[in-house]
Amino acid sequence: MDIQSYIASGKLELFVLGELSDREREEVIELSKKHPEIKRELEEIEDAMFAFDDKTGVKPSEAVKDKIFESLSMDLVEEKETEPEPESVKTRPAAKQVMLQPWKQFAVASSIVAFLAILAAVYFAVMYYDVEERFTALLQERNILSEELDINQARYNSLDEQFETLLSGDYERVPMLGESFELQKDARVDVFWDKSTENVFVSVNQLAALEADQDYQLWAIGDDGPVGIGIVKPGEKLTLQQMEAAASAGAFAITIEPKGGSEAPTLENLVVIGEVV
Amino acid sequence: MQEDQLITGLRAKDKRTVDYLYEKYSRALFVVISRVIKDHDIAEEVFHDAFVKIIRRIDSYDESKGRLYTWMANVCRNAAIDKTRSKEFSKDSKTNTIDNYVYGLEGTSGTTEAVDGIGVKELITNLNEEQRFVVECIYFKGYTHSEISEEFEIPLGTVKSRIRAALGVLKKNINRI
Repeated sequence: MDIQSYIASGKLELFVLGELSDREREEVIELSKKHPEIKRELEEIEDAMFAFDDKTGVKPSEAVKDKIFESLSMDLVEEKETEPEPESVKTRPAAKQVMLQPWKQFAVASSIVAFLAILAAVYFAVMYYDVEERFTALLQERNILSEELDINQARYNSLDEQFETLLSGDYERVPMLGESFELQKDARVDVFWDKSTENVFVSVNQLAALEADQDYQLWAIGDDGPVGIGIVKPGEKLTLQQMEAAASAGAFAITIEPKGGSEAPTLENLVVIGEVV
Repeated sequence: MQEDQLITGLRAKDKRTVDYLYEKYSRALFVVISRVIKDHDIAEEVFHDAFVKIIRRIDSYDESKGRLYTWMANVCRNAAIDKTRSKEFSKDSKTNTIDNYVYGLEGTSGTTEAVDGIGVKELITNLNEEQRFVVECIYFKGYTHSEISEEFEIPLGTVKSRIRAALGVLKKNINRI
């Protein structure tokens, strides 16, 4: 047989790698006994493989060495084989359980905590949105109240002013009535006039609303004839509306005029009149 | 210590001989396992079992059927491969490339081991692509030559000759590192 081609076949490498069938193994062993070249080649391959293995890696840790000699302590002392595998098989799962248990407990505990935390978070989120909504409503209400307060404050100020004017001045009250005219029988407007300061105010008691293109105009009728001294707003009832100054007047009257008032009164539109006593 | 003394000592369960055996071969044997099993802890576990088995089963070793190291390496390699085929292990460990292995080796070990890791890399760069592929499959992923042949559709004879060529290159270069 051709020994070189047998060596070259790759069978010896597989033998060392432990990959041959029993029959092939026997064959290699037989041949290596017969042919020193094959035996030498085989040994070279084995040496190379050991060198390769020995030089190419990491040492197992000291802990493994200790464990191995611990596992072997019985064997080495008694020099007998006693129940080989089970011991090492038994100890490891037990160790694993001990290792696993606290981990599991922590996992369970932390998932419970996480669950409770989520519940709490949802609860407080709902609470928060509820409170937020109520707070917004309160804010709006507060703004409305503050606006109303401003309005009332302004009204109070103007009323206070009017009241002061009335008290401090020497006002004469001149009631103007509509009884004698066809237009508005029940109309009534009071004029307050301070002759010394010439201030005039009116207070509407009853006056019908007008068309959009019309106004009520107040006239002071003196020696020089009627003088227009301002527009009266029929909607503002029982408040003092300041008019222009009137130096002299024997009577006051209101007519309906085109929007903005006229130079001279339209007498057929006379609504009320009152004489100064 | 000569190999026959070593074997006699082991058969007698002499602790000093076992110590010697451990010091001389533990590194190489652990490497055989680590190539197949990347996880350091599992590899150590398998190594523990395999080494204990070697000492306890020394009587089943037959000198006429090969040298001691070859027998021990095969015990370790088979233990590692058995482990990868057990339920806990999925086959996807076989999909890692040799680069992962070499870098992993450098990354997880100390300085001296890192130097050795570079050695492996250099050794392997001496191989051509086909040889490297075969070494990768056999050494690092735990394939058998017939599995390589089946899975990658390479004729059995070609696999064999590539293994031989690769080991030849390694043999030549082993003394340079």
